[in-house]
Amino acid sequence: MRDGFLAELADRHALIAAASHMRALGYRQLDAFSPYPIIELEEAMGIRRSWLPWLILAGGIAGAATAYFFQWFLVAVLYPLNVGGRPAHMPAAFVPITFEMGVLFASFAAFFGALFFSRLPRLWDPVSDVDTFDRASLDGLWLRVGGDDPKFSAARTAQELRDVGALAVRRVGGRA
Amino acid sequence: MRAAADPVLVGSPTDGELSDRLLAPVWRAGGPGWKILFLVTFAGTLMLGFLVSYTVVEGIGLWGNNIPAAWAFAIINFVWWIGIGHAGTFISAILFLFEQKWRTSINRFSEAMTLFAVMQAGLFPLLHLGRPWFFYWLFPYPDTMEVWPQVKSALPWDAAAVSTYFTVSLLFWYLGLLPDLAGVRDRAPGKVRRVIYGIFALGWRGSVRAWRHYRVAYLILAGLATPLVLSVHSVVSSDFAIGVVPGWHSTIFPPYFVAGAIFSGFAMVITLAIPARAALGLHGVITERHLDNLAKMTLVTGLAVSYGYICEYFISWYSGDPFELYQYWVARPTGPGSVVFYLMILGNVIVPQFLWSKRIRRNAKWLFIASILINVGMWSERFVIIVMSLEREYLVSKWHDYAPTWVDLGILTGTLCFFLFLFLLFLRFVPFISASEMKELAHELKEEEKAANA
Repeated sequence: MRDGFLAELADRHALIAAASHMRALGYRQLDAFSPYPIIELEEAMGIRRSWLPWLILAGGIAGAATAYFFQWFLVAVLYPLNVGGRPAHMPAAFVPITFEMGVLFASFAAFFGALFFSRLPRLWDPVSDVDTFDRASLDGLWLRVGGDDPKFSAARTAQELRDVGALAVRRVGGRA
Repeated sequence: MRAAADPVLVGSPTDGELSDRLLAPVWRAGGPGWKILFLVTFAGTLMLGFLVSYTVVEGIGLWGNNIPAAWAFAIINFVWWIGIGHAGTFISAILFLFEQKWRTSINRFSEAMTLFAVMQAGLFPLLHLGRPWFFYWLFPYPDTMEVWPQVKSALPWDAAAVSTYFTVSLLFWYLGLLPDLAGVRDRAPGKVRRVIYGIFALGWRGSVRAWRHYRVAYLILAGLATPLVLSVHSVVSSDFAIGVVPGWHSTIFPPYFVAGAIFSGFAMVITLAIPARAALGLHGVITERHLDNLAKMTLVTGLAVSYGYICEYFISWYSGDPFELYQYWVARPTGPGSVVFYLMILGNVIVPQFLWSKRIRRNAKWLFIASILINVGMWSERFVIIVMSLEREYLVSKWHDYAPTWVDLGILTGTLCFFLFLFLLFLRFVPFISASEMKELAHELKEEEKAANA
């Protein structure tokens, strides 16, 4: 999706309507930009739920299991210390660190997973060069149609975007 | 409708207006008040640096703690600072999960407060080690002596809990900051600012594909931070509760410490929010409703703390244990430094009762004074628990009175200055109210209004 068109929409309802209209026309390489999350937009564009939660769960389980194993290995195998005849392997005493490490690694998975799935950090993108696109982080709402979309055609797509209410249609990247 | 009479956001600003109002402090120069405070707190931070160096070079004999009161200012300040952090996480995580709309305008700076408070807290156990350059002995690493940390002790739990707490708070805060850093990148005047904020924004553009992962990650991080609010101070309290010292050996400690932590944290949020909103003219986004709600939370957690005191006293009497009885009924109210005990009662039991009054909850001046007294009260509580219990342990021959030295007082003052210094930098260089969340809130409120009128 390196080139294509960017269309600016007037408000969130227009953006949602435009996105679902373009999707109904058969476009699949669609993306939208907004200064705050719009849940209805995800539904309109047919974006499924993120599967990040599964990665986070895996991170949490891995962190907790490793922490428990390490604690057992340290105080029951490598360096058993008899304090008042208490058992070397003492599950209750391992709970706090196991829990904390589970939370810590789940959080790493959440943060870095979200960045990775969003393809960040990526400081430059072809859309950055489009005039006034920088309002997307403030109050601008934009819909993007990728040039590699099978339905894409330079003349017709721009007209279709104008027909669904785009205030402005701008070209992204080199050709088209 | 209640929301109209008592708004969480005054007026109905557009997205552009909200961006300008909330992001502008980042590129506007600080006023004279900011500059004076900056210089004062910077001087205090330098003093902290000097006193820390002095302590590291000379050793902790410079401090007042000695046997039997081996834990004194260092641990009091540690527990106090880490407790303050808890309200930030409570606001940013728990109130988020409960979909409390009023949290939006105060969550970011409360969370910054958490980070800065935990930074101060971390300093104390490190210095209290005596030889802080061996701090890495806390971690399990393969050394030639084949000695490993004893993970059955509460102290390694503490190290794990506090470092996890700091890291998770930082990740949660930074993830929430990304859309606003992008906003500053795109709006700030001057190329240098745009490049610097652009790097920190990691190339955030607000793509719908990025938002969908962002939303999930933010929600789950809130869920992960929630048990931390309850677990961190519970673990801190086990440092005491696991000991046999009269005044420490108590099962009420974990919930009582957590309540105290959130209580002191809300007081600190009020202490910081009132001057910040006055200085920066933010009465439209931090409204009286926010102060009212913060004060109510302070009152509720204050009552939980008072309940903790009642329980402690009841159990000491009911146990019939002479050492417990002496500690609670003689040493604390009449022993050395008993004035601190009465400061604790004043700040934590009496002052919160004034918050029953709606007039005081909505009066910035009185609320500010109450929050300062509560902060003092909570610091006193930690002094009472730690120092007074150690001063009067089992053997009379072991009794010894404690007094802090000027280095102790200087380091405490220094951390206060460093905390405020970081907070001032934050107010100046980071959008301290989440612009993207405020826009979302403004749209939600508009939709609600439309639904109500229809």
